[in-house]
Amino acid sequence: MTSRPAILFLLPALLLYAAFVVVPILQVVAYSFFSWDNGIAQEFVGLANYTHLGSDSVFWAALSHNAIWVVLTLAFPLLAGLLLAAILADRSPRTIQVMSAIYFIPRTIPLVVAGIIWGWIYNPLFGLLNYGLDMMGLGSLAGAWLAEESTALVSLNVVGAWTFFGFCVVIYLGAIQSIDPSLYEAAEVDGAPWWRKFRDITVPLLNNSTLFLGLYAAIEAMRFFDLIWVTTQGGPGYATEVLTTHVYKTFFLVGDFGYAAVLSVVLLVIVLSLSAIAFRLLRAK
Amino acid sequence: MNRITKHSQTIILALFALYALAPVYLVLLASMRSESDLFDGPLSLPWPIETANYVRVWTESGFSTFFWNSLKISAAVTILVLLTAPLAGYAFAKMQFRGREALFALFLAGLVVPAPSVIVALYGNLQAMGLIDTHLGVILPQAALLMPFAVFMMRTVMQEVPDELIEASTMDGATPLYGFLTVVVPLARPGLMSLTLIVFLFSWQEYLLPLVVLQTETLKTITVGAASLQGRYGVDYGGIAAAGLIAFAPLVVLFLAMQRSFVRGLSAGAVK
Repeated sequence: MTSRPAILFLLPALLLYAAFVVVPILQVVAYSFFSWDNGIAQEFVGLANYTHLGSDSVFWAALSHNAIWVVLTLAFPLLAGLLLAAILADRSPRTIQVMSAIYFIPRTIPLVVAGIIWGWIYNPLFGLLNYGLDMMGLGSLAGAWLAEESTALVSLNVVGAWTFFGFCVVIYLGAIQSIDPSLYEAAEVDGAPWWRKFRDITVPLLNNSTLFLGLYAAIEAMRFFDLIWVTTQGGPGYATEVLTTHVYKTFFLVGDFGYAAVLSVVLLVIVLSLSAIAFRLLRAK
Repeated sequence: MNRITKHSQTIILALFALYALAPVYLVLLASMRSESDLFDGPLSLPWPIETANYVRVWTESGFSTFFWNSLKISAAVTILVLLTAPLAGYAFAKMQFRGREALFALFLAGLVVPAPSVIVALYGNLQAMGLIDTHLGVILPQAALLMPFAVFMMRTVMQEVPDELIEASTMDGATPLYGFLTVVVPLARPGLMSLTLIVFLFSWQEYLLPLVVLQTETLKTITVGAASLQGRYGVDYGGIAAAGLIAFAPLVVLFLAMQRSFVRGLSAGAVK
């Protein structure tokens, strides 16, 4: 086929994408090399804006929170998804369909609304969590979950996990269902218990899905904004500050265009590197 | 499998179902409870059932307007993506041209670009184009940010279309566009359905763009409305619950009605 229709087929998508994503990215990179006054570029200052990164303790705190978020996501929703998918795979098609729908429902809820709902559950005065702890006689564990530095980030991660584990179940289920059943039959002949089949057959054969979900989770952990913004806005103090909220505040609240651009570039470099690694690893498989 | 294993597994399945559904149930209860019942505890059944919260947010707090704004924006984004991404996906899947790999890589890179990372430049651009405080100022960037995912997904879908059918239509003398519309689109219908649902879902869930672009109260979307309701009347929990429910109920219903199509779309690109 000639290339003229190909270009015409591509053009509408490409124009829209270039105008509102590619060009702004290039602009952000350019902005980061200028000094700014009141939203107007003053002069080229090279890497001067970048030197501020070293002394910006909020930036390093935000980065560490993003990293903690990745680890927590790998530790909880991913593992839960794997376990639930492995259990579900043995059940009837009807059960599989109903349960995976239930697990998936939270993902259809906008993160803004998820944040509002869970903000309530964590409410120190009449939230469900403290209420439940009280009922079980564990009232001493009750706390102001989102208002204390020690618990805020982990509490929010439980909300993130709530919207994510169903996705993991669905991805893992698809992969488990394509595993050759004769492998399990052979193991059953040998009298292997459930957990050993899980450990020796299911988990190793799902390496690819785990890699995909792990990288997906890592990238999402760098990108998320809504959940933090609607609940804690990065607080208390900077306990839940992440890169995206730091960009937002630096740009809209502080009005420091140059440094907001620097932070955006850092964010972009991290997500693009992660996705480059993801593609290399997943294609190599 | 022995009985103990099986029963303990069933308990695990049930516990996670509780984790998934309890917050939704809680909101449903709160939305039907009157203010005075609030301190009876979060699990007390609301009685008598109140619809006052829904009526109040829908008529007084502007949620009928927010709802229609969200519907309008999401529908426009979906249509815009549907008009552009399938063509591009088809070009990448089935056509030969110079720079194909490089252009596809350019789209792929965009898969992970977070909206907050471009907002520093995008905001000024929208201002210069006179698009701040307009729905178009949300629709265009949102469609553009969803474009990489849509193109990537459409390429996968279009690769499944048999070459022979496309060749046959070319030999009949059909133009590429005519062949695309009459041969390819009907075959790709399930994929297009998935794309429609996913783009609509993502667009409805979007928060940052409408938050910064829209300033006039009557232009705001339901996510922005719900979040600001939380700030404005910090104590109207019944109202916030009703607003939250209005914001997510259409998505849950849509998902449950078309589960298969949704899941296929969301897992597009995942390795098997």
